[in-house]
Amino acid sequence: MAEMEEQTIEYWRWDEGNWKNPDMDFKDAEILTAGIDVGSVSSQAVIMADGELFAYGNTRSGYNSRDSASNVMNMALEAVPGLKLEDIHYVVGTGYGRVRVPFANKAITEIACHARGANYMYGPKVRTIMDMGGQDLKAISCDERGKVLNFVMNEKCAAGTGRGMEVMADLLKVPIQKVGEMSFQVEKEPPPVSTTCVLFAKTEALGLLKNGWSVPKVLAAYCSAMAHRIYGVVKTVDVKKEFVITGGCAKNSGIINRLEKELGFEIYKDTKVDTQLAGAIGAALFGKALYEKSKKK
Amino acid sequence: MINDFIDVYKNRHDYAKDWKKKNPDSKVVGYMCSYFPEELFYAAGMLPVRILGSHEPQNVTEPYIFGMYCPFSRDVLAQGLQGHYDYLDAVSTAYPCMHLGQAFDSWTLHVTQKKFYVDMPNRVQTPYAVPFLTGRLEETKQEIEEWIGREITDSDLKEAINVYNENRALLREIYEMRKADDVPLTGTECMYITTASLFMDKKDANKLLKETIENELKGRKAKTADDTRLMVLGSENDDIKFLNMVEEFSAVIVTDDHCTGSRYFWNPVEEQDDPIQAIAQRYIDRPLCPQRDYPERKRLPYLLDMARDWNVAGIIALQQKFCDPHELDKVALLDWFKENDIPTIYLELDVTVPIGQFKIRVEALLERLREDELW
Repeated sequence: MAEMEEQTIEYWRWDEGNWKNPDMDFKDAEILTAGIDVGSVSSQAVIMADGELFAYGNTRSGYNSRDSASNVMNMALEAVPGLKLEDIHYVVGTGYGRVRVPFANKAITEIACHARGANYMYGPKVRTIMDMGGQDLKAISCDERGKVLNFVMNEKCAAGTGRGMEVMADLLKVPIQKVGEMSFQVEKEPPPVSTTCVLFAKTEALGLLKNGWSVPKVLAAYCSAMAHRIYGVVKTVDVKKEFVITGGCAKNSGIINRLEKELGFEIYKDTKVDTQLAGAIGAALFGKALYEKSKKK
Repeated sequence: MINDFIDVYKNRHDYAKDWKKKNPDSKVVGYMCSYFPEELFYAAGMLPVRILGSHEPQNVTEPYIFGMYCPFSRDVLAQGLQGHYDYLDAVSTAYPCMHLGQAFDSWTLHVTQKKFYVDMPNRVQTPYAVPFLTGRLEETKQEIEEWIGREITDSDLKEAINVYNENRALLREIYEMRKADDVPLTGTECMYITTASLFMDKKDANKLLKETIENELKGRKAKTADDTRLMVLGSENDDIKFLNMVEEFSAVIVTDDHCTGSRYFWNPVEEQDDPIQAIAQRYIDRPLCPQRDYPERKRLPYLLDMARDWNVAGIIALQQKFCDPHELDKVALLDWFKENDIPTIYLELDVTVPIGQFKIRVEALLERLREDELW
């Protein structure tokens, strides 16, 4: 029985849920906009009142992008009693499923939205954004408004992304929230695993465990390999020290601290907003600008 | 008329087989690289056809060519191994990149034994290149004569040159029409036309091109000035699906630098007393493939002039995965267009086009180019 219970624990599960800003009332807002970021792994819906973060929902994406969009929007609305979808003036879809958000007025790429969202979350000083998503990496350089100047993405392979870390958490039976912290419980930093390919890394990790490596040591080696790979992508854009990370992997200190060592400077982390929300925030802010434009016409 | 080119593109093998039925005493020769001097073979009464891939996943090449060779070269070889080019009387190439060279060697071992290998010099930026190639073309001409049992006269060569030059002029005319604000044909349609021309008897192609220009393109508006003007460039590209996807986002591809596009036909053979030398001069002078763009890097200013002449807002550079010559070009190319303020994205092609993964990159480029829309 105990064995069966252990099997059902999903160690990869990150925190899902919804939230509403307790200090704000949507009835006071002139413009309500929403950004729906339907990613390959996770979906977020953000509601903004006059350009300020008001409520959100954050959940796992399903195989059907339309359903994922509706589910996550409902999650966000559930956090705000009395608020209905019809009350929202403009909705922008972004992410992998951006064109399949059934109630969106417009679709915008997550590249533009993450840059705009990071600008909101960290301020106008931000110049380089690394979006570390579920199945891809995007290095973006932007101006003081959060407008994209250049971007680079990893190639088609999803190696070294959030989904890989989820697989590793499951394999090693470590809750994903603990991976970063546990990866530092090593006396000496091990060399990185030789590949971030999810399948090969899994095989390599099993081999290392059989050779007597501890779980923290394997995690350290995997986090280090991910940092290596991310650095390889990020250095192909014009890297500036005003550097931030968005997306779920930004919550993994095991990757971030090691990436900082590779970069040779500290990454900005001074935001109270969940880094997974950056794309949806950017989408909602574009929604506000587009709504205002449509009213002026 | 454009539909006729689409028909040839889609049924290229039927076209060649029909041609052979109509010309029972003539031969069809397949070739693998755009440096191949088709005029020599056309002068001998043959139909030269470019061998391209099918863009369909295949499982036949693994025993015959290493996986490290580019997807295009493996796709090309697959066409032979699968018997799609069973009507060829000979297979041929001018000295190509290493990848296509391997596909050619494997093809001659396992598919078509009769072969012609034109020793096109790699180093074209030397005064010895034209005399060298002239000598090699003389050799090839003799080989062809021995094979068909008759002489290829200067008159045959001059007629072939005239037919090919007319084809080049007509294709160029279509590209000139794409400079208009309201472009008369989409990049996808143009790709159908140029690529189908690679498979056609140039006399047939010329007739169809004239009709298309006169009766279909003049006065036509396929796209408007509101569509974002783009250029595509890079290695071999006949990825119709990709171009179509790009143009669905209110964009229009107005010119290209591909060996299946403008590089194939851009410059004519200039008249000289010796037609063989004239042909050699043309292939030495033609727009460069990056494999031959050294020691001076001439492609960059050439591409910038083209981008400016066709008034493009952004560039999509495409490269077959593992393509050495274009990988070598990548860094210089991206730096060059950055210095010259033309936003550029670089994508890696495979046999099948990963539309979803390319979409986001293309859309993000277009968002950059249409900056006022969101701000």
